[in-house]
Amino acid sequence: MTAATAVTAHAQVEVHADTISQSQMNREQLSNPLDAINGRVAGVTITKSDNGVAAMNAVRVRGTTSLTGGNDPLIIIDGVMGDLTTLAAVYPADIENFTILKDASETAQYGSRGASGVIRITTKKGKGKRTTISYNGSVGFITPYKNLNMLDANGYRREVVARDLMLIDMGANTDWQRAIQRIGFQHDHHVAFTGGGDNNGYRVSIAYLNHDGVTLHEKMINFTSNLSMYQRMFGDLLNIDIGMFGNVKKDKTAIYDMQKTFYSAATFNPTFPATGDINTGYSGFTYANQINHPLALMDSRTTDKTTHISTHAKLTFTFSPKWKLIAFGSYSHNEVERSQYLPTSIWAGGQALRSSEKTETLLGNISVKFDTKAGKSTFNVMAMAEAQREKLSGFKTTTTNFTADELGFYNIQAGALSLWEGTASYYEDPSQLSFLANCTWDYDGRYSITATARADGSSRFGNGNKWGLFPSLSGAWTLSKEAWLRDFKWLDNLKLRVGAGISGNQGGVSNYTTLNLLAPGGIVPVGQDLKVALISPRNVNPDLKWEIKRQVNFGIDAAFFGNRIIASLDFYTSKTVDMLYNYPVPVPPFTYPTLLANLGSMRNSGTELALGFTPLKTRDIELNINANITFQRNKLLSLSGDYHGLHVTAPDYVAIAGLNGAGFHGGNNNIVYQIVGQPLGVFYLPHADGLRPTDKGYAYNLVDLDGDQIINTDDGKDRYIAGQAVPKTLLGSNISLRFKQWDIAIQVNGAFGHKIFNGTSLSYMNMNSLPGYNVLAKAPERNIVDQAVSDYWLERGDYVNIDYITIGWNVPLKRDKVVRSLRVALTVNNIATITSYSGLTPMINSSNVNSTLGVDDKRTYPLARTCSLSVNLVF
Amino acid sequence: MVAAASGCNKFLDETPRDRLPVDQAYGNLDELYLNAVASLYSCVGGNKDSYGLQGTRRGIYDLNTFTTDEAMIPTRGTDWYDGGLWQGLYTHSWGTGSSAVSGTWTYLFQTILRCNKSIEDITAYQQQKQVDVSYYLAEVKALRAMFYFYAMDLYGRVPIIKRSEPEWEDLLLKNRSEVFNFIRSELQEAIPNLSESYSNRPGAYYSRMTMPVAFFLLAKLALNAEVYTWDNWTSEPRPDGKNIIWKIDGKSMNTWEATVYYCDLLADMGYALEPDYQTNFQVENEQSYENIFTIPMDKWLYTNQFTNLFRSRHYNHATALGLNGENGSCATLEALDAFGYGTDRQDPRFDISYYAGEVYDYDGYPVLLDDGTPLVYEPRKIALDLSGSPYEKTAGARMRKYDVDRTATKDGNQSNNDIVLFRYADVLLMKAEALLRDSGPNDVSLALVNQVRRRVDADERTSLSLDDILQERLLELAWEGWRRNDMIRFDTFCNLRSFCPVTSLEADHHTIVFPMPGEFLAITGDKQNYGY
Repeated sequence: MTAATAVTAHAQVEVHADTISQSQMNREQLSNPLDAINGRVAGVTITKSDNGVAAMNAVRVRGTTSLTGGNDPLIIIDGVMGDLTTLAAVYPADIENFTILKDASETAQYGSRGASGVIRITTKKGKGKRTTISYNGSVGFITPYKNLNMLDANGYRREVVARDLMLIDMGANTDWQRAIQRIGFQHDHHVAFTGGGDNNGYRVSIAYLNHDGVTLHEKMINFTSNLSMYQRMFGDLLNIDIGMFGNVKKDKTAIYDMQKTFYSAATFNPTFPATGDINTGYSGFTYANQINHPLALMDSRTTDKTTHISTHAKLTFTFSPKWKLIAFGSYSHNEVERSQYLPTSIWAGGQALRSSEKTETLLGNISVKFDTKAGKSTFNVMAMAEAQREKLSGFKTTTTNFTADELGFYNIQAGALSLWEGTASYYEDPSQLSFLANCTWDYDGRYSITATARADGSSRFGNGNKWGLFPSLSGAWTLSKEAWLRDFKWLDNLKLRVGAGISGNQGGVSNYTTLNLLAPGGIVPVGQDLKVALISPRNVNPDLKWEIKRQVNFGIDAAFFGNRIIASLDFYTSKTVDMLYNYPVPVPPFTYPTLLANLGSMRNSGTELALGFTPLKTRDIELNINANITFQRNKLLSLSGDYHGLHVTAPDYVAIAGLNGAGFHGGNNNIVYQIVGQPLGVFYLPHADGLRPTDKGYAYNLVDLDGDQIINTDDGKDRYIAGQAVPKTLLGSNISLRFKQWDIAIQVNGAFGHKIFNGTSLSYMNMNSLPGYNVLAKAPERNIVDQAVSDYWLERGDYVNIDYITIGWNVPLKRDKVVRSLRVALTVNNIATITSYSGLTPMINSSNVNSTLGVDDKRTYPLARTCSLSVNLVF
Repeated sequence: MVAAASGCNKFLDETPRDRLPVDQAYGNLDELYLNAVASLYSCVGGNKDSYGLQGTRRGIYDLNTFTTDEAMIPTRGTDWYDGGLWQGLYTHSWGTGSSAVSGTWTYLFQTILRCNKSIEDITAYQQQKQVDVSYYLAEVKALRAMFYFYAMDLYGRVPIIKRSEPEWEDLLLKNRSEVFNFIRSELQEAIPNLSESYSNRPGAYYSRMTMPVAFFLLAKLALNAEVYTWDNWTSEPRPDGKNIIWKIDGKSMNTWEATVYYCDLLADMGYALEPDYQTNFQVENEQSYENIFTIPMDKWLYTNQFTNLFRSRHYNHATALGLNGENGSCATLEALDAFGYGTDRQDPRFDISYYAGEVYDYDGYPVLLDDGTPLVYEPRKIALDLSGSPYEKTAGARMRKYDVDRTATKDGNQSNNDIVLFRYADVLLMKAEALLRDSGPNDVSLALVNQVRRRVDADERTSLSLDDILQERLLELAWEGWRRNDMIRFDTFCNLRSFCPVTSLEADHHTIVFPMPGEFLAITGDKQNYGY
C-alpha cells in the first residue's frame, strides 16, 4: 500500500539516511517526539534546556555550523515544514518513523531550510479495512532528588556571628530550595482509531498530556489531535492524502527568570520562615538586592498558550508506471499568547504583559517524476517547483504601577502606567521560491549516483543576491552484491557511500535587513507636543547574501552474520564560508557597533559510528545492544573580510558567555569566547595556581601569564585558552533484553572532552557573600573571600548518564478476544549520572552557542526523576 | 520565460509595512525636524550602559566622576566588585580593555555619525525643496560639536568626521588642538542661526541646542584651552592660555578673556543664581533660571534613566522612600575634607549634596536596618574594598542633591527631575577662574565666588587662590560630572589619593585621556594614546 507511506515528493532521493522506525525509538515516558530518538542517532545532539516541563530541546545535527542562526534542524511532519516548536503538535505515539538527514547530498533536496539537517516525521496512517482502536496511557510522579548543599540556619548563624556581621535571625530553619519544590503528578492519554475500505483509509487520534513540574505552580497541558485519510479515485490514477494536525499547549510557571529564582532559593537567609503570601506580603531581607524572597518569586505567573494547526493535502496522479505528478499544499497557523504578571513584592509597581505572536505559513509544491528501466539500469528523474509565503505578526502591551496584585494579567488596566517601550507590534511577510531537479541512476542495485540541483530564492536578501544555486552529488557502491563477494555468506551487506554538496543558510537574517528603514526610536518633545521620532537603528548591509556550507561525506554500511551485527561509519567535513555573523565593528566608520555581513569561515568535521549487535536471538529471548559514537571537531577559521573597501576584523576575543549576579556586573567576568583558530566556544581565563592567604581568608592566586609583572585579566593579557565548552565525543547506547513476554531496556548517554565553568561554586564559595547571601556548606572551611574569575572553577564536563530504564510486560492474550494486545510498562528516568563534575549536574548547555554555553551559573534547575506506569491497549 | 522570471522576483520583493523607507521620512518641514533633528536628542540621555551624557552607568559621567577625588564606588562584599571595574577606575588602572571606556567611545561616535546623517538629509531637503532650513543645520552642527567636545575631552586625539559614511582618510586621528579648533569654529558659525531660548524650560526649545548652551560650551572650551591645545601632553610643557588667541566679533583676545566674554553673554541673557540652591534639583526643576542645559526627564514618557541617586542609597534607605537602591557610590575622604565634614566649619552644601549619619523616611522616622537598629552612614569608614568590614554596607556619605520623586518608576531609576548638565553657578566660577588665571588675584573673582557661597549661607572667602577655586568647584558642583575635567585643568588628576597604591605609572600624565578602542585604531594603523 504505497499511498499511505509515501510522504512527499522528496522521498525517493535518499541514498542513505538514518530511519528510525517504531521498534528503534525510545518507547515510554515521552512527552515530545524528540524524546523518542534521544541517544539513538549518531551525530544528533538533543539536550533539554532545563528540567522544566516546558523546556525546549536544543537539537544540533552535526554540530553548530553557523554563528548567527539557522542551526536548528528543519522539522517536517507529513510534508509540512516547521521548526522545533511544531513538534509539540505531534503525540509521540502517532509517529510511524523518523528520518534523519545529515549529509549535504541528503539535505540538498530541502535547500537552505535543510542546511542544518532535517528531521522528518511520518505519522501513522490508516491501513485499509482493518479497524483498530488503541489506547496509550501513563501515570507517574516527578520528584526532585538533588539540591545544592547550602549552610542550614544553624550553620548560617554560626558563620555570620563568627565573622562579626549583621545577623538577621528570624528563628526558623528553612531549606529554600525545597520550599519552592514539590512532587509533581503527571498523566497522559492517547486514543487512536484506524479504519477504511478498499480504496480509502483513515486514522484519527486525540491525546491529552498533563504534567506538573517540580517547582511550585509549574504545569504543562497539551491537547493534540491528528487526522489523516487517503482516497484512491479513477482506478489508480489519483490518490488523495489529506491530513490535519494541531495542538493547544499551555505552559504555566512561576519562574520568569530562571537564574533569579534558583539563585534566590539557594542563597536566601535560611533563618527566615517559609511563610507569607501575596496578600500579606513577605518579611523582607533587603541586604541582597540581586535576589528575592523565594516564595515571593513563586507568586509571579507566566502562561504561554501555543495554538498550532496544520492542514495539508497531496494529490498524486499516476499517469503510467513511468510518469507521476504530485501536487502538495500546506497551511500552518501558529500562535503563542503570553500572559505574565510580576507582583509588586518582586517588581516595583508590579508589571503585567500580554503579547501574541502569530505565524502563518502557506506552502505549495508541484513535482513531476519519471521512472524508467533500461536493462539493468534504473533512472528516477524529478523536477519540482515550490513557493512559500509567511505572515509574521504580533503585538505586546505592558502595564505597571499596580496598587494590588489580585487582577494580575487578567485585567492589565489595573496598572496605571503603560510603558512606551512596552507596547509594540510588528508585521512581516517573507517569501521563498525554489526549483529542484534531481536524477538518480542505479545499475543492478550495485551502483547508484544521484545528482541534485536546487535554486533557492529568498525575499530576505537584496536585489541581485536573492538567488542561490545549491548542487549536490552522491554515489553508492554495494560491494556485497558483487559476484566476488557473494561467496562470503556471513556478509549480508557492505556498501560504500560518498556524497558532496553545497547548501545555503539564511537563518541569521531577519526580514528587511538589506533595506534602509526607519522605526520608532523614542519620544521626543517637539514644542509643546510629544512626538515619536523615527530612526534607522542599525547598520544596513544591502549586500547580504546566502551563507554557504560545503560538505563532503564518506560512509560505509555493513551487516554480518544474518544481520546480527550491523555497523555504519561516516566521516564528514564541512566548511562554512561567507559566514553570516553580527560582526562587532568599530564605530566609526560604522554608525552602530555590529554589522550583519558575510565574511568569515568555519570548519566542522566528525566521525559517526553506529553499531547494532544482537548476540542472542531465539523465540523466547533476544538481546540487542545498540551504540552510537560521535566525534566532532569545530574550528573558527576567520572572522574578517573586506566590506566596501574596509578590512573588517572582529576583535581577537569575542565574549559569548559570562557571569551574572552580585558583584559580576561588567568588568572581567567573561568566561567563554569566540577566538579565531579555536573551536567555537572556548574557555579563555586567567590561571589560578591555587589559593593564597589574605588577611581575611583565601584568594585565588592568579598567575602573571604574560610576564609583565602585573596581574591584568583584560582580554589579551593574563588569560589563556583553557578548554572547549562543546563535547568532543558523544555517546548514545541502548541495551534491551526480551525474555518471553518480558522486556527491559536501558538507555545510556554520555559526553566527553569538554569543560564546564562552575560559576555557581565561584559565587557560593565566596565567604564575602555573607550575610546577604548564604553560602555552600563546605565554604566556611575553605574560607575563600574572592570572586575573581579564573580557571580555579573550570572542571571537566565528562559524564555518563543513565537516561532511563523500562521494564515492560506484553500480556499474553487469547487470539479471539476483543483486546488484541496489551502492554504494561514501568519506566524510571534520570537514574544516575557518573561524573567528576562537582556542581549539581554536568548536563548544562554544551551545544547552543549563546550566553549560557559552558557556564553553570546559579541557574540549574532542580534535578528530578520521573517514575511512570504506562499501559498500551489495542482493540 | 521573462515574464515568469519577473513574476518570481516580484514574489520575492520585500514590502515592509511596519517600518518606513528612508525616502518617505522627510515629507514636510515638520517631519524633517522630527526625524532629522529631534531624533538626535534621544541620544543626550539614555537607558543603556555607556549611552547618554549622564544618568546611565559606565559612561561619560562615571569616567568623569569615579576616577577623581570626588566620589568612588567601594567594593562591598559581593556587591560592586564587578570584575574590578570600580576599583580600576578609582586607582586609574582601567587598562585598554575596559568596556566602559570603549562603550563610551562607541556612544559618542555613533551619535556624531547620526548627526552627520541628519546634516546630509537636511542639506538634501534644502536643495530639493529650495527652502531655507539653515537653522536646522546650525542646530545639528552645534549639537555635533557638543559630542565632539566630550570625545576630545575624554580621548584627546580623535578623528574629525563630517560624513555619515566615512572614508578611510576621514578616520585618521587629528591632533587635539585641531579638534579643539574645529569644535570652536563649528559652534561660533552655528550661533547666529540658533534660537536664544532657554533650553531648560518647557516650550518650543525645551532640551534643545540653543544659543546659551553653545555659549556655555564655548566658555568651557576657552577655560580648558591650555589642556585642549596641548598636543603632546606626556612629553611637552602645557601651552600658556595667554598665548591662545580667539577671534570674536573681529576682536582678538586670549583664552581667559574669551572665557569671560562667553560667561558675560550668559549673564546678559538673564541667567541668575536661584535664591534656593535646591530649586535646580527639585522634582519639577524646569523653571530654574540657573540651569542652562538639562536632560529632560519624564518617568511616564521618556526612557532616559537617572541611576546616580538609585545606585548610591542603601537598600533600606531607598526602600523607606518607596524605591529601590543599590548601595554603591559615596564621597571620598578628600571630598569629606574639602567640605570640612564633621568640623565646625562644615560647608552648608554638604547636607544638600550628601546623606551622612542617620537618615529618615518621609514621616521623619529613622531608617532601620534589617536587625532593627538605625541605619547610620559612616562617611569616614570607607575603603577601596570594604568586604568583611563591619561598615561594608554603611560606609560612605551618599548622594543626595536631587529631591526624591516619590512616584519614580523603574525602581527609582526614572524620576521627573531633569538631569542638570550645565548651570549658571558653574559659569560664575568659570569667570572667576579665568580672571584669576589672566590677571592674578582680583576683587571681581573673589566677589563671584562669594556670590556663589552667599547663596547657600557659606562664610565668605577673604582671599582667593587657584586651589580655592578647585575646592569651591567641588563644593558647588559635587555629583555633576565635572571633577575629572577640573582636576586635569588644575593638574591634580594624577596626584596620589587615599587608597591608591603608590605608583610611578602616572608620572607621564598619560591617564588624563582614555585609550581608544584597538579595533578602531587598527583600521588606519594610527597609534594608541601614549602610555597605553
